[in-house]
Amino acid sequence: MLALKEAFEGHETFFITYDSIRTRQLERKYLLRNIGTNPLVMAQAFMSTVIILLREKPKLIVSTGSEIAIPAFYLAKLLGIKTIFIESWTRVDRPTGTGKIVYPVSDVFLVQWERLLSKYGKKARYEGAIL
Amino acid sequence: MIFVTVGMHTKGFDRLLKKMDEIAAASDEEVVMQIGHTSFRPQNAKWFDFTTESGIKEWCKKARVVVTQPAMSVLDAQEQGTPVVVVPRLKQYDEVIDDHQLDFARELEKQGKVIAVYDVDKLEEALKQVDLKPLELVKDKRLVNALKKYIAQFEGARRLK
Repeated sequence: MLALKEAFEGHETFFITYDSIRTRQLERKYLLRNIGTNPLVMAQAFMSTVIILLREKPKLIVSTGSEIAIPAFYLAKLLGIKTIFIESWTRVDRPTGTGKIVYPVSDVFLVQWERLLSKYGKKARYEGAIL
Repeated sequence: MIFVTVGMHTKGFDRLLKKMDEIAAASDEEVVMQIGHTSFRPQNAKWFDFTTESGIKEWCKKARVVVTQPAMSVLDAQEQGTPVVVVPRLKQYDEVIDDHQLDFARELEKQGKVIAVYDVDKLEEALKQVDLKPLELVKDKRLVNALKKYIAQFEGARRLK
């Protein structure tokens, strides 16, 4: 996401991300536990994300994954917040689990390889990649 | 110096680090490894589990070559102008949930952005042959511009309401 930060210049931003030595250095952030495939941690992430979104009231959520995007995107749909999902640059042929789950509720859905378009529906677009 | 980094991935990458430790034992060149969640502890190389964003960038900058999985770490290394050798994590060794890194490695290799090694036994040879001409970093602005366009569209729609 930091590789794309130029796109957000002039806008107020905050992060919801996983807690790690790298993310602790971000300026305005909410750090959650790594979800992986643990349903209990996913439920906790939903709770935390509701509180964060109600407090911050963002106009737009942009995500490059991973599972942490799932609560944010579904709650955004309920709260009327716009969403942009950017599938990982590392995904040439295979969609991510998260991508498939958030596809139906994303306002804009971008992939970083043209070939991956065939694995998603009509909404998906290819508009270049980070490198 | 060779810098090996396996990122924030929740699974370990023993196969790569064991091979790099062997290579370190037989070489005069210093090897430094960021091992992440890997349980194997290198004996012949300096290692640490995680470091900060700027820490990773500094190691990438100092290195002659960066050895990593084909993932976002490729970007960290290329931003520092350091050649990259990628070794994909594979599902068969439970290093990752599917073989998407294999697809990605092939594409990066095809684009001439990295040297891809699919069999760790060929790593030592590849490291000797790393062609040192720095890869030209072409940062694709299309994605950033597309995001700006969508952000402007959403803002415009809000004003009309």
